[in-house]
Amino acid sequence: MKLYESEAKQIFEKFGLIIPKQIAIIKSINELEKLTLVFPIMVKAMVLIGGRGKAGGIKKVYSLEETKKIVNEMFSLSIHGYPITKILLEEAVDVASEVYLSITTDPVTFDVIIIASGSGGVDIEEVARTQPEEIWKKTIKNNPLSLSNEIAEEAAIFLINKNPDLDIAKIQLVSTITALFAVFQQVEAKICEINPLIFTKDNTLIAADAKLVIDDNSLYRQSSLLKSIGIDPRSKRHDISEQTIFEVQAYNIGFPYLDLLINPETFEKEKNKLYVGLVPGGAGYGIFSIDEIVNVGNRYFDGKVVPINFMDSGGGPSLSNVANMFHLLMDHPATDLIITSRFGGISSCDIFIQGLIMALRDRFMSKKRMIPVFGRMVGTDLAAARAFYEKAKRETPEPLKNLHIVVGNQKIMADVIKDGIEYGFRVKEQEKSGGN
Amino acid sequence: MAVGKLDADQGLIFYFIQQVRPELAVQISKTKTIETMIVGLGRQGTRHTRLMMEYGTNVTCGVAPGKGGTKVHETIPVYENANDAIKNHPNIAVASIWKHYSSAKDATIEVIRAGIPIVVLISEFIPLRDVRDILVEARKYETILFGGNTPGIIFPPEGIKVGMLPDIFQAQETNGKIGSKGVTILSRSGAILYHLSDALASAGIAQNGVLGVGGDAAIGSRFVDLVSTIMGYENTDLVVIAGEIGGMQEELLAQDMISHPEKYPKPLVALISGANAPEGKTMGHAGAVIAPGQSYGTYISKKDALENAGVSVVNHQRDLIEVVKTKLNRTYFKIEDYYNKMRKKWDAKTPERTWGTAITNVMPNNLIIRGYPLQEIIAKKGLLETAYLLQKSDFPDKNELQEMEKIAVKAVKEDFLNYISVPESADISKMIGSFLLIDNQLANFADSTKDISKVVAFTLGRIVKYIAIVLGNSEIVDSLQIEELSFTELIYLGLVGEKHPDKLKIRLLEAMITACVDHGITPPSAQATRILASARAKYEVGLSAGIQAITDVHGGAGQKAADFFLSVVRISKEKNINLDEATFELIRETIKTGKRIEGLGHRIHTKDPRRDILWELAENAGFAKECVSISKMIGDVFHQVRGIDLPINVDGVLGAITADMDIDPKLAKAIFVFGRIAGLTAHYFEEINTQPQMRSISFDKAVYRGQSIREIG
Repeated sequence: MKLYESEAKQIFEKFGLIIPKQIAIIKSINELEKLTLVFPIMVKAMVLIGGRGKAGGIKKVYSLEETKKIVNEMFSLSIHGYPITKILLEEAVDVASEVYLSITTDPVTFDVIIIASGSGGVDIEEVARTQPEEIWKKTIKNNPLSLSNEIAEEAAIFLINKNPDLDIAKIQLVSTITALFAVFQQVEAKICEINPLIFTKDNTLIAADAKLVIDDNSLYRQSSLLKSIGIDPRSKRHDISEQTIFEVQAYNIGFPYLDLLINPETFEKEKNKLYVGLVPGGAGYGIFSIDEIVNVGNRYFDGKVVPINFMDSGGGPSLSNVANMFHLLMDHPATDLIITSRFGGISSCDIFIQGLIMALRDRFMSKKRMIPVFGRMVGTDLAAARAFYEKAKRETPEPLKNLHIVVGNQKIMADVIKDGIEYGFRVKEQEKSGGN
Repeated sequence: MAVGKLDADQGLIFYFIQQVRPELAVQISKTKTIETMIVGLGRQGTRHTRLMMEYGTNVTCGVAPGKGGTKVHETIPVYENANDAIKNHPNIAVASIWKHYSSAKDATIEVIRAGIPIVVLISEFIPLRDVRDILVEARKYETILFGGNTPGIIFPPEGIKVGMLPDIFQAQETNGKIGSKGVTILSRSGAILYHLSDALASAGIAQNGVLGVGGDAAIGSRFVDLVSTIMGYENTDLVVIAGEIGGMQEELLAQDMISHPEKYPKPLVALISGANAPEGKTMGHAGAVIAPGQSYGTYISKKDALENAGVSVVNHQRDLIEVVKTKLNRTYFKIEDYYNKMRKKWDAKTPERTWGTAITNVMPNNLIIRGYPLQEIIAKKGLLETAYLLQKSDFPDKNELQEMEKIAVKAVKEDFLNYISVPESADISKMIGSFLLIDNQLANFADSTKDISKVVAFTLGRIVKYIAIVLGNSEIVDSLQIEELSFTELIYLGLVGEKHPDKLKIRLLEAMITACVDHGITPPSAQATRILASARAKYEVGLSAGIQAITDVHGGAGQKAADFFLSVVRISKEKNINLDEATFELIRETIKTGKRIEGLGHRIHTKDPRRDILWELAENAGFAKECVSISKMIGDVFHQVRGIDLPINVDGVLGAITADMDIDPKLAKAIFVFGRIAGLTAHYFEEINTQPQMRSISFDKAVYRGQSIREIG
């Protein structure tokens, strides 16, 4: 879970780091009236994404008029798809120099890693590429809960060597590094970053920005901390930009779903393309099936096939959840065809086919839009699933006439996908000629 | 199709063990089996334990705190912790962990520290800080750690699976013989493993190992830790990895291949997912996210890195098949055989789920308790010995028997509601059932005593006391307590109220009681106790429920049969006719009024196995008089009246003997109830120790899975 800068700073402060005085977090320009402001101050957009500075989300202002103007502009801005709804106003800090400090997980060994640089306030990835000697990195073995003084000193000495002015703040530098490490371990962060850590003209180190991402898996035992900064620990904060209505719908039902089309509600379909919805099974195949649709489309259908969603439909969903997965995609205005696969280890083919057929019958009865479904089922409870499927086709042929499920693995999924797309284009052709 | 499988010490999993625990590998070469252990026996762990065993995995034991000493799937011992498990099963080579994320860390570390070389961490959503703690230990102990969040690992040639993978994998097979050649597949995702294997099998490519490394961002053994080891296994011809966006496992492997090409002597094919994934959106797997601005973790970064290292990268099932086929230029089995095997599997009806008991094997005309025919037990053993056998599957030695005797006698002597007054008409089952519920001495003893043989001895003693109260014999029992009476003497005294009876009489009563100890899962009494035990009710509560299911319909017919026999004797005397004539007459009269004759017929036995030995003992003791004679002829007479075979049952025999002994006919039911205490106790503890709590019990799905028939030595 990503925290807003203001929240991250509150936590940092609890661990003894010095932060700029937070004046207010406002949600509308009217709130400015009530505040007593001593200029200059910082105006900062509270969005959960990096690169705010470049996008105009961080400004230093010197007067009330300027503040009003900037705040007004910011509220109409959106940064990388994140609309700005909250703005932090805080005390501006006199900058002598800037330090970069972060703690994260080493992607190679999964150990904790500390990164420090005397070049704060800039894109650290860029520094790493162009001037690797400006970066100090230390992998911390054995996952200790607190950092040894030795290592904190080592980092401080590196920074002092790069910028001898810092020498006077050596003790605070060491304690800042130690505190940040304590935040990382005790809050169970994935990333803990201060960029920049400002060395002020009066020789103090202040965390002018803060980035804190808490490990979602640990939220259950961080609830008292989260509550203390006003976050409800049970409501997982989604960390993507504005959710689409379909994403909200899936989130509320309880399965992972992402729209791949930008603005799917208002999106204009290209007439000659086939838009494919996916109910693919687990997360891994969810990612892979998107590629398969594109690959099959490029290879056999002139690149005219567009996958519209990611879904994780694995892990043994309930009957009604299976039905809801299909309802969601059939309500989705883009969908021309649905590809589905059930490869049951932990989940049951039986529940899957029953849920799917339940959705199709319901839609048929209530005259909702029906979309052709192609797919395959293999694995746990297949015998029962097949018996149900065959019986249902006999009993209610009409709602199921566009349901084509291969039972067993005589055909690999890539070929099922190809068959489905071929069928989808055929239906499209017929609709076209029928319309004429 | 091939039968059998590859020897455990010939396959890839053995090769892994050899690399990290050579001493254990030596043991496995001797035992020819790879022992595995289950940690965490919740719903999924328990279910998949059964599926693993059905696939062929040797599951030696389980670990579940609070369940130590019980059994899972009726036969697999469960221990409190990994150390206890290892102490008892030192050759365990693989452990799978099915714990909830909040307790997965401690369980995993415990297993790693116990020295188990291969650990499969199924649990998902483990906090990252816990994962780091796990990894610290895994490195220290050189553990091969799959997961967290792995579907598991499977080795088709050896028939070993640890995890929840479906059974769709295919080993090399030449002329019906299983071989270990083929490709080895590693994947970060479960479903992809299945789709990959299934695609390769459709082209005749065998898998000698299919390994889920885990879908989380931080995992145990990574591609870079495993791939070169696998290439050292002589029967792996090619390795396939299935990677996906996020993290830098694939890039890391590529780097290692470039710096140490000698470690990678075999072809590698990589299927990478996520070519069309949007930036910054987490796609199901915690690890599968493209972090904006990072130089690794994207489809392109992975593809470029791997291709630079000479790896073929594919992104489509058909390409995978083509590339692997071209590189290998061979097949490993007949494709048709694979499809036939699959079709058979999926066309097969789901097998009926049975469950097992090891107490009594009930077959028509045979009752085999823990392997011994009941009639022989009645002839050769006493009640306490039989009660011990029911609990522990063997007879007690001399000391153990003495200990039971002491406990039982003490239980008779301890106080219990002596002031209670019981109405003349009181039903024996109802009274004993009630006493069981309010007897604090018994509750305390059962709570504080681990050894079930002692619990049953104490309970039998208490029951003597209850019966004495119900039958009005408690004063006599109390008055004789200063004397050194044996338990069987006390039983006689409590039940019959007769002082200093003949030894043969005592022996006869004991035999009659022993005849009633158990009748397997079939009677309502055992079922009632089982249901209560399944809900984990206290011992005495479960016992009470079982006893109260003993009614006129079940086990209580003896009293009515005794009354019937006595009426026959009276009629024969009054009318001065033969017993058979009197029997004929009374049967006819009784049936006319629409009543049934008690003590006849049995759901299972046509010739009750307990019958002859009881008649014989009655004869020896001098109590085979008129009623016993009637009991011997009544089946035939009944046939003359009705034309139906309805043979005498054990209730009838007990009724006849009690009548001839000239004791209260009520005793017939008391005898039955008393004997059944031993059996119900066994059912209670078997349910507790070998079955999951609150299961839905289908009594007709119970199967005997105990000792085969043996002789009393």
